[in-house]
Amino acid sequence: MRRLAQILRSSAWLGWQVEANWAEPALFLVYAIAKPLATTLILFFMVKIVSQGDATAETFRFIFIGNTFFLYVTEVLIGISWTVFRDREDFETLKYIYVAPLRLMPYLLGRAFTRVATATVGVIVALLFGRLALGLSIGVPGTNWLLVLAAVLLGLVGVLWLGIILAGTSLVVARHSMNLNEGLSGLFFLLCGAVFPLDVLPSWARSVSLALPFTYWLELLRRMLTGEGFAKSLAAMSDGDLWRVLVFATLGLCLAALVWFEWCERFARERGLIDWKTNY
Amino acid sequence: MTPDPGGGTPTLGQRLRMNAAAITARASVRVKASFRERSWLVGETLFPFLTMSAFVLVYRGLNAPREYEGFVVLGGAMIAYWNNVIWGMASQFFWEREQGQLQLYLITPVSRMSILLGMALGGIVMTTTRAAAILIGGILLFHVELPLSRALPAFGLFVLTLGAAYSLGMILSSLFLLWGREVWHTATILQEPIYLFSGFYFPVSAMGVVIAIAGSLLPVTLGLDGIRQVFYGPAAHGLLPLPWIPPIQIALTAVFLYIAGVALRFMEELGKHEGRLTVRGD
Repeated sequence: MRRLAQILRSSAWLGWQVEANWAEPALFLVYAIAKPLATTLILFFMVKIVSQGDATAETFRFIFIGNTFFLYVTEVLIGISWTVFRDREDFETLKYIYVAPLRLMPYLLGRAFTRVATATVGVIVALLFGRLALGLSIGVPGTNWLLVLAAVLLGLVGVLWLGIILAGTSLVVARHSMNLNEGLSGLFFLLCGAVFPLDVLPSWARSVSLALPFTYWLELLRRMLTGEGFAKSLAAMSDGDLWRVLVFATLGLCLAALVWFEWCERFARERGLIDWKTNY
Repeated sequence: MTPDPGGGTPTLGQRLRMNAAAITARASVRVKASFRERSWLVGETLFPFLTMSAFVLVYRGLNAPREYEGFVVLGGAMIAYWNNVIWGMASQFFWEREQGQLQLYLITPVSRMSILLGMALGGIVMTTTRAAAILIGGILLFHVELPLSRALPAFGLFVLTLGAAYSLGMILSSLFLLWGREVWHTATILQEPIYLFSGFYFPVSAMGVVIAIAGSLLPVTLGLDGIRQVFYGPAAHGLLPLPWIPPIQIALTAVFLYIAGVALRFMEELGKHEGRLTVRGD
Protein backbone atom coordinates (compact mmCIF):
# COMPACT_ATOMS: atom_id res chain seq x y z
CA MET A 1 0.00 0.00 0.00
CA ARG A 2 2.85 2.35 0.86
CA ARG A 3 4.46 1.68 -2.48
CA LEU A 4 1.14 2.29 -4.26
CA ALA A 5 0.70 5.59 -2.41
CA GLN A 6 4.21 6.59 -3.47
CA ILE A 7 3.47 5.82 -7.13
CA LEU A 8 0.18 7.71 -7.02
CA ARG A 9 1.85 10.70 -5.38
CA SER A 10 4.74 10.82 -7.86
CA SER A 11 2.59 10.43 -10.94
CA ALA A 12 0.10 12.98 -9.61
CA TRP A 13 2.97 15.45 -9.17
CA LEU A 14 4.17 14.68 -12.70
CA GLY A 15 0.64 15.16 -14.02
CA TRP A 16 0.42 18.53 -12.32
CA GLN A 17 3.72 19.64 -13.86
CA VAL A 18 2.66 18.51 -17.33
CA GLU A 19 -0.73 20.15 -17.13
CA ALA A 20 -0.03 23.30 -15.20
CA ASN A 21 3.60 24.38 -15.10
CA TRP A 22 3.18 26.70 -18.09
CA ALA A 23 1.30 29.23 -15.99
CA GLU A 24 0.97 30.76 -12.55
CA PRO A 25 -1.57 28.84 -10.42
CA ALA A 26 -3.98 31.82 -10.45
CA LEU A 27 -3.91 31.99 -14.24
CA PHE A 28 -4.30 28.23 -14.47
CA LEU A 29 -7.34 28.53 -12.19
CA VAL A 30 -8.92 31.05 -14.56
CA TYR A 31 -8.47 28.63 -17.44
CA ALA A 32 -9.85 25.76 -15.33
CA ILE A 33 -13.06 27.52 -14.35
CA ALA A 34 -13.78 29.30 -17.64
CA LYS A 35 -15.41 26.29 -19.26
CA PRO A 36 -17.79 25.27 -16.44
CA LEU A 37 -18.84 28.86 -15.81
CA ALA A 38 -19.44 29.52 -19.50
CA THR A 39 -21.52 26.36 -19.89
CA THR A 40 -23.52 27.25 -16.78
CA LEU A 41 -24.28 30.68 -18.18
CA ILE A 42 -25.19 29.31 -21.60
CA LEU A 43 -27.81 27.11 -19.96
CA PHE A 44 -28.93 29.97 -17.73
CA PHE A 45 -29.60 32.23 -20.69
CA MET A 46 -31.29 29.42 -22.61
CA VAL A 47 -33.74 28.93 -19.76
CA LYS A 48 -34.10 32.66 -19.23
CA ILE A 49 -34.96 33.47 -22.83
CA VAL A 50 -37.57 30.74 -22.96
CA SER A 51 -39.17 31.26 -19.60
CA GLN A 52 -38.68 35.03 -19.38
CA GLY A 53 -37.72 34.52 -15.75
CA ASP A 54 -40.66 32.37 -14.59
CA ALA A 55 -39.09 28.94 -14.63
CA THR A 56 -35.51 29.98 -13.99
CA ALA A 57 -35.20 29.04 -10.34
CA GLU A 58 -36.85 25.62 -10.42
CA THR A 59 -36.12 24.27 -13.88
CA PHE A 60 -32.68 25.73 -14.11
CA ARG A 61 -31.65 24.21 -10.78
CA PHE A 62 -31.99 20.67 -12.13
CA ILE A 63 -30.17 21.52 -15.34
CA PHE A 64 -27.47 23.33 -13.40
CA ILE A 65 -26.75 20.42 -11.05
CA GLY A 66 -26.58 17.89 -13.89
CA ASN A 67 -24.31 20.07 -15.97
CA THR A 68 -22.03 20.96 -13.08
CA PHE A 69 -21.33 17.41 -11.91
CA PHE A 70 -21.02 16.15 -15.47
CA LEU A 71 -17.79 18.14 -15.59
CA TYR A 72 -16.14 15.16 -13.84
CA VAL A 73 -17.08 12.94 -16.76
CA THR A 74 -15.73 15.25 -19.47
CA GLU A 75 -12.52 16.17 -17.65
CA VAL A 76 -11.48 12.87 -16.09
CA LEU A 77 -12.73 10.46 -18.74
CA ILE A 78 -10.89 12.15 -21.57
CA GLY A 79 -7.91 13.10 -19.40
CA ILE A 80 -6.79 9.56 -18.62
CA SER A 81 -6.83 8.31 -22.19
CA TRP A 82 -5.21 11.53 -23.41
CA THR A 83 -2.31 10.79 -21.04
CA VAL A 84 -1.58 7.60 -22.98
CA PHE A 85 -1.39 9.45 -26.31
CA ARG A 86 0.68 12.32 -24.92
CA ASP A 87 3.18 10.06 -23.13
CA ARG A 88 3.39 7.60 -25.99
CA GLU A 89 3.67 10.00 -28.92
CA ASP A 90 4.46 13.57 -27.82
CA PHE A 91 6.84 13.01 -24.92
CA GLU A 92 7.78 9.44 -25.96
CA THR A 93 8.03 8.47 -22.30
CA LEU A 94 5.46 5.71 -22.02
CA LYS A 95 8.11 3.06 -22.65
CA TYR A 96 10.13 4.31 -19.68
CA ILE A 97 7.31 3.33 -17.33
CA TYR A 98 8.33 -0.24 -18.10
CA VAL A 99 11.91 0.25 -17.01
CA ALA A 100 10.76 1.77 -13.72
CA PRO A 101 9.56 -0.32 -10.77
CA LEU A 102 5.86 0.47 -11.20
CA ARG A 103 2.77 -0.70 -13.06
CA LEU A 104 1.09 1.33 -15.75
CA MET A 105 -2.42 1.39 -14.28
CA PRO A 106 -1.56 3.02 -10.91
CA TYR A 107 0.62 5.47 -12.82
CA LEU A 108 -2.35 6.47 -15.01
CA LEU A 109 -4.63 6.78 -12.00
CA GLY A 110 -2.08 9.10 -10.40
CA ARG A 111 -1.81 11.13 -13.58
CA ALA A 112 -5.59 11.52 -13.48
CA PHE A 113 -5.31 13.35 -10.17
CA THR A 114 -4.70 16.73 -11.83
CA ARG A 115 -7.82 16.33 -13.93
CA VAL A 116 -9.82 15.30 -10.84
CA ALA A 117 -8.48 18.32 -8.96
CA THR A 118 -9.20 20.68 -11.87
CA ALA A 119 -12.70 19.29 -12.26
CA THR A 120 -13.29 19.57 -8.51
CA VAL A 121 -12.25 23.22 -8.55
CA GLY A 122 -14.54 23.77 -11.54
CA VAL A 123 -17.46 22.06 -9.79
CA ILE A 124 -16.95 24.01 -6.54
CA VAL A 125 -16.63 27.35 -8.34
CA ALA A 126 -19.70 26.58 -10.48
CA LEU A 127 -21.71 25.63 -7.37
CA LEU A 128 -20.62 28.82 -5.59
CA PHE A 129 -21.43 30.84 -8.70
CA GLY A 130 -24.86 29.23 -8.89
CA ARG A 131 -25.52 29.94 -5.23
CA LEU A 132 -24.09 33.46 -4.97
CA ALA A 133 -24.46 34.94 -8.45
CA LEU A 134 -27.52 33.14 -9.78
CA GLY A 135 -29.30 32.83 -6.42
CA LEU A 136 -29.92 29.09 -6.70
CA SER A 137 -30.57 27.13 -3.53
CA ILE A 138 -28.16 24.22 -3.52
CA GLY A 139 -29.36 21.71 -0.97
CA VAL A 140 -32.55 21.52 1.07
CA PRO A 141 -33.01 21.39 4.86
CA GLY A 142 -32.85 17.57 4.83
CA THR A 143 -29.73 17.32 2.69
CA ASN A 144 -27.10 15.05 4.21
CA TRP A 145 -23.87 16.59 2.94
CA LEU A 146 -21.76 13.59 3.88
CA LEU A 147 -24.00 11.41 1.72
CA VAL A 148 -23.72 13.95 -1.11
CA LEU A 149 -19.94 13.73 -0.82
CA ALA A 150 -20.12 9.93 -0.82
CA ALA A 151 -22.32 9.98 -3.93
CA VAL A 152 -19.95 12.34 -5.72
CA LEU A 153 -16.98 10.13 -4.82
CA LEU A 154 -18.77 6.97 -5.90
CA GLY A 155 -19.61 8.50 -9.26
CA LEU A 156 -16.07 9.75 -9.60
CA VAL A 157 -14.69 6.27 -8.93
CA GLY A 158 -16.95 4.97 -11.70
CA VAL A 159 -15.65 7.68 -14.05
CA LEU A 160 -12.06 6.76 -13.17
CA TRP A 161 -12.60 3.09 -13.98
CA LEU A 162 -14.31 3.96 -17.23
CA GLY A 163 -11.32 6.21 -17.93
CA ILE A 164 -9.03 3.21 -17.38
CA ILE A 165 -11.11 1.21 -19.88
CA LEU A 166 -10.62 3.98 -22.43
CA ALA A 167 -6.92 4.25 -21.56
CA GLY A 168 -6.57 0.52 -22.26
CA THR A 169 -8.26 1.04 -25.59
CA SER A 170 -5.95 3.97 -26.29
CA LEU A 171 -2.94 1.69 -25.86
CA VAL A 172 -3.99 -0.37 -28.86
CA VAL A 173 -5.40 2.29 -31.20
CA ALA A 174 -3.88 5.19 -33.12
CA ARG A 175 -3.82 8.72 -31.78
CA HIS A 176 -6.64 10.02 -33.94
CA SER A 177 -8.97 7.59 -32.18
CA MET A 178 -8.94 10.22 -29.44
CA ASN A 179 -11.95 11.52 -31.32
CA LEU A 180 -13.84 8.45 -30.22
CA ASN A 181 -13.08 9.10 -26.56
CA GLU A 182 -14.25 12.69 -26.87
CA GLY A 183 -17.31 11.45 -28.71
CA LEU A 184 -18.10 9.06 -25.88
CA SER A 185 -18.16 12.00 -23.52
CA GLY A 186 -20.58 13.80 -25.87
CA LEU A 187 -22.69 10.68 -26.07
CA PHE A 188 -22.93 10.46 -22.28
CA PHE A 189 -23.78 14.18 -22.11
CA LEU A 190 -26.69 13.51 -24.43
CA LEU A 191 -27.87 10.18 -23.09
CA CYS A 192 -27.48 10.75 -19.34
CA GLY A 193 -29.87 13.68 -19.44
CA ALA A 194 -27.23 15.94 -17.94
CA VAL A 195 -29.05 19.08 -19.08
CA PHE A 196 -32.60 17.96 -19.86
CA PRO A 197 -35.13 15.48 -18.47
CA LEU A 198 -34.70 11.96 -19.85
CA ASP A 199 -38.35 11.95 -20.74
CA VAL A 200 -37.78 14.08 -23.87
CA LEU A 201 -35.54 11.39 -25.37
CA PRO A 202 -37.10 8.98 -27.86
CA SER A 203 -37.94 5.66 -26.21
CA TRP A 204 -35.00 3.76 -27.77
CA ALA A 205 -32.54 6.40 -26.54
CA ARG A 206 -34.16 6.36 -23.11
CA SER A 207 -33.53 2.61 -22.92
CA VAL A 208 -29.84 3.22 -23.63
CA SER A 209 -29.83 6.02 -21.09
CA LEU A 210 -31.23 3.73 -18.40
CA ALA A 211 -28.32 1.36 -19.00
CA LEU A 212 -25.74 4.04 -18.14
CA PRO A 213 -24.59 4.45 -14.53
CA PHE A 214 -24.14 8.22 -14.83
CA THR A 215 -27.89 8.61 -15.46
CA TYR A 216 -28.55 7.28 -11.96
CA TRP A 217 -25.67 9.24 -10.50
CA LEU A 218 -27.00 12.58 -11.75
CA GLU A 219 -30.56 11.74 -10.67
CA LEU A 220 -29.33 10.81 -7.18
CA LEU A 221 -27.37 14.05 -6.84
CA ARG A 222 -30.38 16.07 -8.02
CA ARG A 223 -32.63 14.40 -5.48
CA MET A 224 -30.14 15.00 -2.68
CA LEU A 225 -29.58 18.65 -3.57
CA THR A 226 -33.14 19.66 -4.49
CA GLY A 227 -35.27 17.19 -2.58
CA GLU A 228 -37.07 16.25 -5.81
CA GLY A 229 -36.52 13.96 -8.76
CA PHE A 230 -36.02 15.27 -12.27
CA ALA A 231 -36.64 12.29 -14.57
CA LYS A 232 -40.14 10.83 -14.58
CA SER A 233 -38.61 7.64 -16.00
CA LEU A 234 -36.80 7.12 -12.68
CA ALA A 235 -39.64 8.25 -10.42
CA ALA A 236 -40.48 4.68 -9.43
CA MET A 237 -37.00 4.14 -8.04
CA SER A 238 -36.24 5.05 -4.45
CA ASP A 239 -33.00 6.73 -3.41
CA GLY A 240 -31.86 3.33 -2.08
CA ASP A 241 -32.46 1.79 -5.51
CA LEU A 242 -30.34 4.50 -7.12
CA TRP A 243 -27.54 3.88 -4.61
CA ARG A 244 -27.67 0.14 -5.31
CA VAL A 245 -27.51 0.64 -9.08
CA LEU A 246 -24.61 3.01 -8.65
CA VAL A 247 -22.64 0.70 -6.34
CA PHE A 248 -23.11 -2.35 -8.56
CA ALA A 249 -22.34 -0.37 -11.72
CA THR A 250 -19.13 0.95 -10.16
CA LEU A 251 -18.09 -2.56 -9.14
CA GLY A 252 -18.88 -3.76 -12.65
CA LEU A 253 -16.84 -0.98 -14.19
CA CYS A 254 -13.94 -1.78 -11.85
CA LEU A 255 -13.97 -5.44 -12.81
CA ALA A 256 -14.33 -4.68 -16.51
CA ALA A 257 -11.51 -2.11 -16.32
CA LEU A 258 -9.10 -4.53 -14.61
CA VAL A 259 -9.72 -7.28 -17.14
CA TRP A 260 -9.83 -5.04 -20.23
CA PHE A 261 -6.78 -2.96 -19.33
CA GLU A 262 -4.67 -6.03 -18.65
CA TRP A 263 -5.67 -7.53 -21.99
CA CYS A 264 -4.98 -4.28 -23.85
CA GLU A 265 -1.62 -3.81 -22.15
CA ARG A 266 -0.53 -7.36 -22.99
CA PHE A 267 -1.72 -6.94 -26.59
CA ALA A 268 0.13 -3.61 -26.92
CA ARG A 269 3.37 -5.16 -25.64
CA GLU A 270 3.06 -8.21 -27.87
CA ARG A 271 2.49 -6.03 -30.93
CA GLY A 272 5.14 -3.47 -30.06
CA LEU A 273 2.66 -0.63 -29.65
CA ILE A 274 4.06 0.87 -26.46
CA ASP A 275 6.30 3.28 -28.40
CA TRP A 276 3.98 3.55 -31.41
CA LYS A 277 3.90 6.94 -33.16
CA THR A 278 0.78 7.69 -35.13
CA ASN A 279 0.76 11.49 -35.09
CA TYR A 280 0.38 13.26 -38.42
CA MET B 1 7.00 27.76 -60.33
CA THR B 2 10.44 27.59 -61.97
CA PRO B 3 13.10 29.63 -60.17
CA ASP B 4 14.57 32.47 -62.14
CA PRO B 5 18.27 31.54 -62.65
CA GLY B 6 19.03 35.15 -63.39
CA GLY B 7 17.90 36.12 -59.90
CA GLY B 8 15.93 39.14 -61.08
CA THR B 9 13.04 40.62 -59.16
CA PRO B 10 9.79 38.88 -60.12
CA THR B 11 7.28 40.96 -62.01
CA LEU B 12 3.88 41.75 -60.55
CA GLY B 13 2.32 39.06 -62.72
CA GLN B 14 4.83 36.48 -61.51
CA ARG B 15 4.23 37.45 -57.90
CA LEU B 16 0.48 37.17 -58.33
CA ARG B 17 0.85 33.74 -59.94
CA MET B 18 3.18 32.57 -57.17
CA ASN B 19 0.79 33.69 -54.48
CA ALA B 20 -2.20 32.18 -56.27
CA ALA B 21 -0.28 28.90 -56.52
CA ALA B 22 0.54 29.09 -52.80
CA ILE B 23 -3.11 29.67 -51.92
CA THR B 24 -4.21 26.74 -54.06
CA ALA B 25 -1.49 24.44 -52.74
CA ARG B 26 -2.18 25.20 -49.08
CA ALA B 27 -5.93 24.88 -49.56
CA SER B 28 -5.68 21.61 -51.45
CA VAL B 29 -3.51 20.04 -48.72
CA ARG B 30 -6.17 20.86 -46.19
CA VAL B 31 -9.04 19.58 -48.31
CA LYS B 32 -7.29 16.31 -49.17
CA ALA B 33 -6.16 15.73 -45.58
CA SER B 34 -9.63 16.27 -44.22
CA PHE B 35 -11.06 13.42 -46.25
CA ARG B 36 -8.11 11.08 -45.92
CA GLU B 37 -8.68 10.20 -42.27
CA ARG B 38 -12.24 8.92 -42.07
CA SER B 39 -12.33 8.82 -38.28
CA TRP B 40 -11.80 12.61 -38.24
CA LEU B 41 -14.80 13.00 -40.48
CA VAL B 42 -16.88 11.02 -37.98
CA GLY B 43 -15.30 12.80 -35.02
CA GLU B 44 -15.90 16.25 -36.43
CA THR B 45 -19.50 15.69 -37.52
CA LEU B 46 -21.13 13.09 -35.31
CA PHE B 47 -19.70 14.17 -31.99
CA PRO B 48 -20.44 17.90 -32.21
CA PHE B 49 -23.87 16.80 -33.39
CA LEU B 50 -24.34 14.89 -30.13
CA THR B 51 -23.57 17.95 -28.03
CA MET B 52 -25.79 20.11 -30.21
CA SER B 53 -28.57 17.56 -29.83
CA ALA B 54 -28.33 17.84 -26.06
CA PHE B 55 -28.88 21.60 -26.31
CA VAL B 56 -31.82 21.10 -28.69
CA LEU B 57 -33.33 18.77 -26.10
CA VAL B 58 -32.87 21.42 -23.41
CA TYR B 59 -35.30 23.61 -25.34
CA ARG B 60 -37.57 20.64 -25.97
CA GLY B 61 -37.56 19.86 -22.26
CA LEU B 62 -38.53 23.47 -21.58
CA ASN B 63 -41.37 23.30 -24.14
CA ALA B 64 -39.81 26.21 -25.98
CA PRO B 65 -41.18 27.35 -29.38
CA ARG B 66 -39.74 25.25 -32.21
CA GLU B 67 -37.69 28.09 -33.67
CA TYR B 68 -35.42 27.91 -30.60
CA GLU B 69 -34.34 24.46 -31.73
CA GLY B 70 -33.52 26.09 -35.05
CA PHE B 71 -31.33 28.63 -33.19
CA VAL B 72 -29.32 25.75 -31.73
CA VAL B 73 -28.92 23.93 -35.05
CA LEU B 74 -27.73 27.12 -36.78
CA GLY B 75 -25.42 27.78 -33.85
CA GLY B 76 -24.12 24.21 -34.00
CA ALA B 77 -23.23 24.66 -37.67
CA MET B 78 -21.51 27.97 -36.92
CA ILE B 79 -19.55 26.36 -34.07
CA ALA B 80 -17.94 24.04 -36.62
CA TYR B 81 -16.52 27.11 -38.40
CA TRP B 82 -15.48 28.85 -35.20
CA ASN B 83 -13.64 25.73 -34.03
CA ASN B 84 -11.92 25.59 -37.41
CA VAL B 85 -10.88 29.22 -37.00
CA ILE B 86 -9.39 28.40 -33.58
CA TRP B 87 -7.80 25.02 -34.23
CA GLY B 88 -7.21 25.26 -37.98
CA MET B 89 -6.21 28.92 -38.37
CA ALA B 90 -5.15 30.49 -35.09
CA SER B 91 -3.18 27.47 -33.85
CA GLN B 92 -1.88 26.41 -37.23
CA PHE B 93 1.44 28.28 -37.33
CA PHE B 94 2.07 26.98 -33.83
CA TRP B 95 1.60 23.39 -35.03
CA GLU B 96 3.74 24.07 -38.09
CA ARG B 97 6.50 25.34 -35.85
CA GLU B 98 6.18 22.30 -33.58
CA GLN B 99 6.55 20.02 -36.60
CA GLY B 100 9.47 22.00 -38.01
CA GLN B 101 7.66 23.27 -41.09
CA LEU B 102 7.33 26.93 -40.24
CA GLN B 103 10.78 27.78 -41.55
CA LEU B 104 9.81 26.23 -44.89
CA TYR B 105 7.03 28.78 -45.19
CA LEU B 106 9.38 31.58 -44.24
CA ILE B 107 11.92 30.77 -46.96
CA THR B 108 9.32 30.82 -49.73
CA PRO B 109 8.98 34.01 -51.79
CA VAL B 110 5.23 34.27 -51.17
CA SER B 111 3.23 36.36 -48.76
CA ARG B 112 2.41 34.74 -45.42
CA MET B 113 -1.09 36.07 -45.97
CA SER B 114 -1.40 33.88 -49.06
CA ILE B 115 -0.53 30.82 -47.00
CA LEU B 116 -3.08 31.83 -44.39
CA LEU B 117 -5.66 32.51 -47.08
CA GLY B 118 -5.05 29.03 -48.49
CA MET B 119 -5.53 27.58 -45.02
CA ALA B 120 -8.74 29.56 -44.62
CA LEU B 121 -10.20 28.48 -47.97
CA GLY B 122 -9.24 24.85 -47.42
CA GLY B 123 -10.60 25.05 -43.88
CA ILE B 124 -13.89 26.48 -45.11
CA VAL B 125 -14.30 23.68 -47.66
CA MET B 126 -13.42 21.07 -45.04
CA THR B 127 -15.70 22.55 -42.40
CA THR B 128 -18.61 23.01 -44.77
CA THR B 129 -18.99 19.24 -45.03
CA ARG B 130 -19.19 19.09 -41.22
CA ALA B 131 -21.54 22.04 -40.91
CA ALA B 132 -23.76 20.67 -43.68
CA ALA B 133 -24.00 17.34 -41.86
CA ILE B 134 -25.03 19.15 -38.67
CA LEU B 135 -27.64 21.23 -40.51
CA ILE B 136 -29.07 18.30 -42.44
CA GLY B 137 -29.04 16.11 -39.33
CA GLY B 138 -30.84 18.85 -37.38
CA ILE B 139 -33.47 19.26 -40.07
CA LEU B 140 -34.07 15.53 -40.46
CA LEU B 141 -33.83 14.42 -36.85
CA PHE B 142 -35.34 17.36 -35.02
CA HIS B 143 -37.58 18.62 -37.85
CA VAL B 144 -36.10 22.09 -37.55
CA GLU B 145 -37.63 24.48 -40.05
CA LEU B 146 -35.32 26.62 -42.18
CA PRO B 147 -37.47 28.39 -44.82
CA LEU B 148 -35.72 27.77 -48.16
CA SER B 149 -37.20 30.97 -49.59
CA ARG B 150 -34.88 32.93 -47.27
CA ALA B 151 -31.82 30.77 -47.88
CA LEU B 152 -30.16 33.14 -50.38
CA PRO B 153 -29.93 36.25 -48.15
CA ALA B 154 -28.93 34.00 -45.25
CA PHE B 155 -26.17 32.50 -47.40
CA GLY B 156 -24.94 35.97 -48.38
CA LEU B 157 -24.69 36.98 -44.76
CA PHE B 158 -23.03 33.68 -43.93
CA VAL B 159 -20.32 34.30 -46.55
CA LEU B 160 -19.63 37.77 -45.15
CA THR B 161 -19.46 36.28 -41.66
CA LEU B 162 -16.93 33.67 -42.71
CA GLY B 163 -14.78 36.36 -44.33
CA ALA B 164 -14.65 38.33 -41.10
CA ALA B 165 -14.23 35.27 -38.86
CA TYR B 166 -11.31 33.82 -40.83
CA SER B 167 -9.69 37.27 -41.00
CA LEU B 168 -9.82 37.27 -37.21
CA GLY B 169 -8.24 33.81 -37.32
CA MET B 170 -5.34 35.30 -39.32
CA ILE B 171 -4.71 37.83 -36.55
CA LEU B 172 -4.81 35.12 -33.91
CA SER B 173 -2.40 32.92 -35.85
CA SER B 174 0.36 35.49 -35.47
CA LEU B 175 -0.37 35.85 -31.76
CA PHE B 176 -0.35 32.09 -31.22
CA LEU B 177 2.88 31.81 -33.18
CA LEU B 178 5.06 32.99 -30.34
CA TRP B 179 3.36 31.05 -27.56
CA GLY B 180 4.24 27.72 -26.06
CA ARG B 181 1.98 25.32 -24.27
CA GLU B 182 -0.49 28.06 -23.39
CA VAL B 183 -1.71 27.70 -26.97
CA TRP B 184 -3.63 24.57 -25.97
CA HIS B 185 -5.31 26.31 -23.10
CA THR B 186 -5.93 29.55 -24.97
CA ALA B 187 -7.56 27.67 -27.82
CA THR B 188 -9.70 25.85 -25.28
CA ILE B 189 -10.69 29.06 -23.54
CA LEU B 190 -11.80 30.41 -26.90
CA GLN B 191 -14.43 27.69 -27.14
CA GLU B 192 -17.14 27.52 -24.43
CA PRO B 193 -16.73 31.16 -23.32
CA ILE B 194 -17.08 32.24 -26.95
CA TYR B 195 -20.08 29.94 -27.38
CA LEU B 196 -21.56 31.97 -24.54
CA PHE B 197 -20.66 35.48 -25.69
CA SER B 198 -21.58 34.77 -29.30
CA GLY B 199 -24.94 33.27 -28.39
CA PHE B 200 -24.40 30.05 -30.28
CA TYR B 201 -27.26 28.38 -28.42
CA PHE B 202 -29.54 31.33 -27.63
CA PRO B 203 -30.20 34.81 -29.00
CA VAL B 204 -27.29 36.98 -27.91
CA SER B 205 -29.67 39.78 -26.91
CA ALA B 206 -30.68 37.66 -23.89
CA MET B 207 -27.44 38.74 -22.18
CA GLY B 208 -28.37 42.41 -22.28
CA VAL B 209 -27.35 45.08 -24.76
CA VAL B 210 -23.95 45.96 -23.27
CA ILE B 211 -22.60 42.40 -23.14
CA ALA B 212 -24.19 41.55 -26.49
CA ILE B 213 -22.59 44.55 -28.20
CA ALA B 214 -19.23 43.63 -26.68
CA GLY B 215 -19.72 40.07 -27.95
CA SER B 216 -20.47 41.48 -31.39
CA LEU B 217 -16.82 42.38 -31.85
CA LEU B 218 -16.60 38.73 -32.82
CA PRO B 219 -17.98 38.39 -36.35
CA VAL B 220 -19.69 35.09 -35.62
CA THR B 221 -21.92 36.80 -33.05
CA LEU B 222 -23.44 39.32 -35.43
CA GLY B 223 -23.43 36.88 -38.34
CA LEU B 224 -25.39 34.29 -36.41
CA ASP B 225 -27.74 36.95 -35.06
CA GLY B 226 -28.39 38.18 -38.59
CA ILE B 227 -28.88 34.71 -40.08
CA ARG B 228 -31.42 33.90 -37.37
CA GLN B 229 -33.23 37.16 -38.12
CA VAL B 230 -33.32 36.27 -41.82
CA PHE B 231 -34.86 32.87 -41.08
CA TYR B 232 -37.08 33.62 -38.11
CA GLY B 233 -37.80 37.37 -38.20
CA PRO B 234 -38.74 39.02 -34.88
CA ALA B 235 -38.85 35.62 -33.13
CA ALA B 236 -35.04 35.62 -33.39
CA HIS B 237 -34.81 38.37 -30.75
CA GLY B 238 -32.25 40.14 -32.95
CA LEU B 239 -29.68 42.46 -31.45
CA LEU B 240 -29.10 44.94 -34.29
CA PRO B 241 -31.38 45.81 -37.21
CA LEU B 242 -30.67 43.33 -40.00
CA PRO B 243 -29.62 45.93 -42.64
CA TRP B 244 -26.79 47.10 -40.38
CA ILE B 245 -25.13 43.72 -40.17
CA PRO B 246 -23.67 43.22 -43.71
CA PRO B 247 -21.80 46.58 -43.75
CA ILE B 248 -20.46 45.89 -40.25
CA GLN B 249 -19.20 42.46 -41.35
CA ILE B 250 -17.51 43.97 -44.41
CA ALA B 251 -15.88 46.65 -42.25
CA LEU B 252 -14.72 44.03 -39.72
CA THR B 253 -13.19 41.98 -42.54
CA ALA B 254 -11.25 44.97 -43.88
CA VAL B 255 -10.02 45.99 -40.43
CA PHE B 256 -9.09 42.45 -39.40
CA LEU B 257 -7.21 41.80 -42.65
CA TYR B 258 -5.19 44.99 -42.21
CA ILE B 259 -4.39 44.15 -38.57
CA ALA B 260 -3.53 40.57 -39.55
CA GLY B 261 -0.96 41.79 -42.10
CA VAL B 262 0.65 44.18 -39.61
CA ALA B 263 0.57 41.62 -36.76
CA LEU B 264 2.08 38.91 -38.90
CA ARG B 265 5.02 41.08 -39.96
CA PHE B 266 5.56 42.30 -36.41
CA MET B 267 5.39 38.86 -34.84
CA GLU B 268 7.67 37.37 -37.48
CA GLU B 269 10.29 40.06 -36.85
CA LEU B 270 9.92 39.67 -33.10
CA GLY B 271 10.21 35.91 -33.42
CA LYS B 272 13.38 36.24 -35.48
CA HIS B 273 14.97 38.65 -33.00
CA GLU B 274 14.09 36.46 -30.05
CA GLY B 275 14.93 33.24 -31.87
CA ARG B 276 11.54 31.75 -31.18
CA LEU B 277 10.45 30.74 -34.66
CA THR B 278 12.11 27.36 -34.46
CA VAL B 279 11.74 26.71 -30.74
CA ARG B 280 9.37 23.89 -29.90
CA GLY B 281 7.20 25.02 -27.03
CA ASP B 282 5.19 21.93 -26.25
